[in-house]
Amino acid sequence: MSMMPSSDIILEGVGLKKHFGSGGLLSKPTVVRAVDGVSFGIRRGETFAVVGESGCGKSTLGRLLLRLIEPTDGDVRYEGRSILKLSKGEMRRLRRDLQIIFQDPYASLNPRMNVGDIIAEPIWLHNLAAGSEKRERVADLMRTVGLLPTHSDRYPHEFSGGQRQRIGIARALAGDPKLIVGDEPVSALDVSIQAQIINLLEDLKDRFGLTLVIVAHDLAVIRHMSDRIAVMYLGEIVELSDTDALFDNPLHPYTQALLAAIPIPSPASRQPKVLLQGDVPSPAAPPPGCRFHTRCPHARPVCKEQHPALETTPDGRQVACHFWRDIQGAGAGSISAPPPSAALSQRLALYRTWRERQDKTVATSP
Amino acid sequence: MGREAARQLAPQSNPTRETAPSAPPLLDVQGLSVRFDGAPKGVNVVDDVSFSVSKGKTLCIVGESGCGKSVTSLALMGLLPTPPARIVAGAAVFDGQDLLTLSERERSDLRGDRIAMIFQEPMTSLNPAFTIGDQIAEGIVRHRKVSKAEAMERALDMLRKVRIPAPEKRLRAYPHEMSGGMRQRVMIAMALANDPQLLIADEPTTALDVTIQAQILTLIRRLQEETGTAMILITHDLGVVAEVADEVAVMYAGRVVESGPVEAIFDDPQHPYTIGLMGSVPSLGRRQGRLATIRGTVPPAELMPKGCRFTPRCPFSDGHCANDPPPLAEIRPGHRARCWYAPLELHRGAAS
Repeated sequence: MSMMPSSDIILEGVGLKKHFGSGGLLSKPTVVRAVDGVSFGIRRGETFAVVGESGCGKSTLGRLLLRLIEPTDGDVRYEGRSILKLSKGEMRRLRRDLQIIFQDPYASLNPRMNVGDIIAEPIWLHNLAAGSEKRERVADLMRTVGLLPTHSDRYPHEFSGGQRQRIGIARALAGDPKLIVGDEPVSALDVSIQAQIINLLEDLKDRFGLTLVIVAHDLAVIRHMSDRIAVMYLGEIVELSDTDALFDNPLHPYTQALLAAIPIPSPASRQPKVLLQGDVPSPAAPPPGCRFHTRCPHARPVCKEQHPALETTPDGRQVACHFWRDIQGAGAGSISAPPPSAALSQRLALYRTWRERQDKTVATSP
Repeated sequence: MGREAARQLAPQSNPTRETAPSAPPLLDVQGLSVRFDGAPKGVNVVDDVSFSVSKGKTLCIVGESGCGKSVTSLALMGLLPTPPARIVAGAAVFDGQDLLTLSERERSDLRGDRIAMIFQEPMTSLNPAFTIGDQIAEGIVRHRKVSKAEAMERALDMLRKVRIPAPEKRLRAYPHEMSGGMRQRVMIAMALANDPQLLIADEPTTALDVTIQAQILTLIRRLQEETGTAMILITHDLGVVAEVADEVAVMYAGRVVESGPVEAIFDDPQHPYTIGLMGSVPSLGRRQGRLATIRGTVPPAELMPKGCRFTPRCPFSDGHCANDPPPLAEIRPGHRARCWYAPLELHRGAAS
């Protein structure tokens, strides 16, 4: 995958915190610590994934990185410069570089604007082109994401879910961005449509040299797309590692539990699993010490008291667990999906061959 | 409760879990077709769907949105609004009775008693104004001659059975006080309260996180082993299918395109849609190139082809496919596929 120099950081979060809410006049203050002290750097040209269960703060983190919401504490640096002190005008100019694709493609498109206008809006906003040049650019973008330029006068409700997501992607591309955050970009889509969008995002990344930040909960999608993964639990990063290393040898017990819970699409490898018990505690009242200790099968007394720091392992991974050295390989290790059967591989190969031919006939026919 | 004990004993005293060929399936659906008023002529939203499920077994119906899997299950439960929906053909024989010809009264006697259903959205299928205990007890009082207090006792039993912590407290809780996973456990408790013979679960874990999904699937499987309940599980997730199914029916645009034992579907898939679906799912192993994709989307009803409904998206299709609907033909005993060119390597192997 990407062979970028590992020190070339494009976007960086430093000690990021976002706390929501406070008490009313009569109620006791409740503060939800959605993101609570998160630091990491995103390398230029990589696909960086943030994964976790609902309520872990991954979407909030994605929005913080683009300054769509203001952090309670900490800093976001783009190309080494803090973006938190920028004025409105400067921030608007920066928005060209930093774009986002949302989970629900329908809710994020204005139903009263036609698709051509939706995609043209960033072009107009940043004064990139006007008149026929603008129309040409819109048509170009629509072709790029696999939509017909002749559909530019249609409205969002006339499109299917997958096509709407393509519209959202075209809009994100309109300002020639450097980095795109995808907030669950494929989780609302059917499996066959999901595959189309994943391939499209990868093509666009290669073609335009983009950096992608994917916020998602589907570990199979993440394994397929990303170079590095940050695993979040209750507002904190508990493990950050290269994708293959993480899946081959998960270090944090939460990562191990998360991997163990994935249903494996092979009936032959059915086996009883060691499952995580209980629910994620409320982020308004996170447990003391290690936040995972209430569900952790390896928890010891010290976990209830001392908060583990995110430490770097000898091979450059990061993990926040007091006992990661002892836990390594203790049961819940890597997941192994057996290779597909001979018949399936043969037919899949056949399918791919014929599928390519199908695309070619479409390209040549009007 | 004596009745419960008796029912629980039944599957255990019968050690042959594999269905004897002579034993009729618990539910046998043949040629079910459902039409919505206003749809173009000849286009049924569910078309000639057949499947069966035996005692203690799990049938998974797989498909993407709009393939008719939920309409099928609602039709079986008698929950489709008529009009606009009309059942135009077919039979669904449950334990000797055709579900589709029952009166509304007979149906509601059956629903929640011998056949129960779990829905996808645990938030919207629970009544926010009543406690958990009241809602579970309601179904028991409706179908059994018991007092309210006995029904509450049974509700408490059920909460224990689905492993809800502090069940006495939860009995008096309202749905909003519980997490999504807990609500889904309540739904399961409610569905199983009368020891149904058949459980229909429509995407029971789709709204849940992966660790909670694993808990719920394990719970359902364990309860099924204890009670011998047959289950129809509707899902779009091939991983879930591989984990729980005995039999699989793959649906596309209202028709079953492939059906068979779970091993056959995963090891020897025949229909191009099944194969495309498997290629679309990222593998959990090391990355192996781009994903295979299925072109386009499901066509709207007015553009539905006369022949095989997968024709416009299928890489292997030709004029024959577009005009003549293929039969659901048997490839191997128990394994059927609705494709003119199965097995593909035989008919489409030579790259022409």
